[in-house]
Amino acid sequence: MTRPTFTRRSVLSGSAGALAGAALVGASPHALASAALLRERKTKHVILVAFAGGVRTRETLDTPDNVPVLKQMADEGVVYPRTRTANLGHFGAAMSIFTGISEARGIRENARGPDPTVFEYVRRDAGLSASEVWMSTSGGAQQANYAYSTHSEYGPAFGANTLDGDGVFNQEFKDIVDRFGRPREMDGREVELLERMRGSIESGDDAGGVNTAETARQVERYILDELTRGTADLRGVNAGDAKSLQVARNLMLMFRPKLLGVSLQNADVAHGSYNSYVEVVRRNDVALGELWEVVRSDDSLRESTAIIVLPEFGRDRDLNSRRGLDHGDGSDDLNYVSTVCWGPDFKRGHVVNREVRTIDVCPTVCDMLGAKARMARGRKLPQLFG
Amino acid sequence: MAGGSPRLRLPAALLALFAWALAGPAVSQRAAQVPDDDLSRGAPSRTLDSGVLRAVYLDLLGRPPYRAERDEWLGRQLADLLGELTRGEELWEHWTEEQLYYFLLIDNFRPRSDRVVAIPGDLREGRIGVRDAIHRIVLSSSFDQRNPGPDTFVTVVMEQLLGLTVQKQPRELHIGKQLYDGQEGMFLGRRGRSQADVVKISIEDRRCLSQLLEREYRRLLRRDPDRRELARWTKRLDKDPLAYRDLFRDWIQSEAYEQRLSEEIVQPNRLYVRSMYVDLVDRLPDKEEERRMRNALDGLSDPGPLRAVLARLLLDSGTAALPAKDEIEDPTAWVGGLFERLYGRAATPTELKSFVTAFHDPACRPATVLYALVSHPEYHSF
Repeated sequence: MTRPTFTRRSVLSGSAGALAGAALVGASPHALASAALLRERKTKHVILVAFAGGVRTRETLDTPDNVPVLKQMADEGVVYPRTRTANLGHFGAAMSIFTGISEARGIRENARGPDPTVFEYVRRDAGLSASEVWMSTSGGAQQANYAYSTHSEYGPAFGANTLDGDGVFNQEFKDIVDRFGRPREMDGREVELLERMRGSIESGDDAGGVNTAETARQVERYILDELTRGTADLRGVNAGDAKSLQVARNLMLMFRPKLLGVSLQNADVAHGSYNSYVEVVRRNDVALGELWEVVRSDDSLRESTAIIVLPEFGRDRDLNSRRGLDHGDGSDDLNYVSTVCWGPDFKRGHVVNREVRTIDVCPTVCDMLGAKARMARGRKLPQLFG
Repeated sequence: MAGGSPRLRLPAALLALFAWALAGPAVSQRAAQVPDDDLSRGAPSRTLDSGVLRAVYLDLLGRPPYRAERDEWLGRQLADLLGELTRGEELWEHWTEEQLYYFLLIDNFRPRSDRVVAIPGDLREGRIGVRDAIHRIVLSSSFDQRNPGPDTFVTVVMEQLLGLTVQKQPRELHIGKQLYDGQEGMFLGRRGRSQADVVKISIEDRRCLSQLLEREYRRLLRRDPDRRELARWTKRLDKDPLAYRDLFRDWIQSEAYEQRLSEEIVQPNRLYVRSMYVDLVDRLPDKEEERRMRNALDGLSDPGPLRAVLARLLLDSGTAALPAKDEIEDPTAWVGGLFERLYGRAATPTELKSFVTAFHDPACRPATVLYALVSHPEYHSF
């Protein structure tokens, strides 16, 4: 199949970009076929939460007191309690949620994968800009790799803007900013000269990254503003996850992204302490509730936002010698997790007991936002829509 | 890592090659300073221009040259520089840092034991080889804490030391976990019964050296090595544990490195922070500044916006030594010098004209010029 050729700038910038995006959608048979269906659906925003770090259903939906928020979402939405996972290590297993492909990745591998992610599919097919597709992470540098792949037809030009809350919004980094002081504001003439000089550099100003010059400036402003809010001051056993969810909340308010990925990680404290693990699960549920509240308290978002929550895999059935929980015994506790879907187009209070897979989430989200996960090996989640 | 893309470095590299071809090592006045071991290898050296000097410093020391080092080395021979750098400790410090980053032993997991801290000095003195250095790192308590439990530990050892896909080797993983727990077993064809044996057997496996050389070659040359060459290097390093310094000197003087110079990639954040400090302040950031900035940048899929914020913070903080505008007597020379120093190439006439015209505008500060250069994607590549 011959694919239309276009540059990231032509697609993403201004009204010309919108027209190009529309033309692209017009050129795609899949997009045409799904356009009518999309018009009927209310969902315009999707929040995909990888409740990762290895979390068993035993400590979530099977113990509702731990997760009252998740339980309420489940009661108002659709639950897949037999969601099959692959024990690929945290990085690989979480990556497979976003790519729709189960492929082994090294536990400490710190590189982008070859398979396009849900963010790339959605940005490309729906012609979305970088400020409309975000990812908020908790796991440091490694999780920034979820934003986009090395695939030649996708890649950074279609990636998500990714922020690791714990990496950027921490007291240590805030101290650096405070020590240097805020940058001097440039007046209009100085900005004009700056842009003229930058524009004259003959190697071109396309960094090959996620952002255009315009969205990069938006992100710059957002980072400086967020540093003055309280996110950097969050503490506790789930501090990384709490920041990830708080950043997600603020991103939802400021950018109202079409697709927002959230990736958590702190539950992996379970290797050394079961009690700390349960505490992380409880606190993350509270923070998830705050994110949900942003959606429910906004008239527009409430009627147009879907939330999908699932771990990348569970944990072992039995405690280890340190009274913690590893992940490697091949038990059902490890291999099956629960996926919770809440949104305006979904069934309410429905439980789907047939087996699905974590890799089914990527094509499902793509379908909801008018994209096609061409390389994904999963299928759309069954019995989801009302 | 973003893929390579041809940039303006190519003409500079070709010019330098041309200069080398005309001059030749034999007629260079500096040739007398080339150490015997370099001359005996017979590899032709090349003259160092701004681009090559910057690239070699970034590749081997993880920072650009200081101003005094630029003055010292521009126009001299690459072989001389390589001889000098391999005799110093900074090269081995950077090498060790790269290994720690590969194993994600950073921040709270950074090893602090004497044996790991001594690695750069011991490598420099030839007391240990690179395989011994890796062995020390993997035996450190930090590595154990970073990879807790038998499943994670053995998986990471198999993946990172040997390049194996554990999902395809479930039996070896199972046996490795048994060794970790103190049971006896044949792991990778050798008998062991402890966690230390898992590490020792893996380190002594030929695949460990091959994997190390392959990823080092990729790091420095940005391409996969020829398989036969890789096998030859592996054999050589297996026989002579100290052969690594000769290998990578050969790599840096190879045609493949010439090609690498013509293809730039986005700098990793850890290099960017160090480059920004050296270029703007002529010193490295302290360890804390470096760690905090790197971690913040690593948290973004597109660090460009935050890099720009950091550059402005540094430029506007008064930390950077900037001349007052009226002290710059020859703006053309000043701007041209910045291009050479920051981009490793000469400014084109169009670029010079644009920058100098802007410079003469009352609204333009010297910091504005520097900010335009260091916030541009070309500066973020090397």
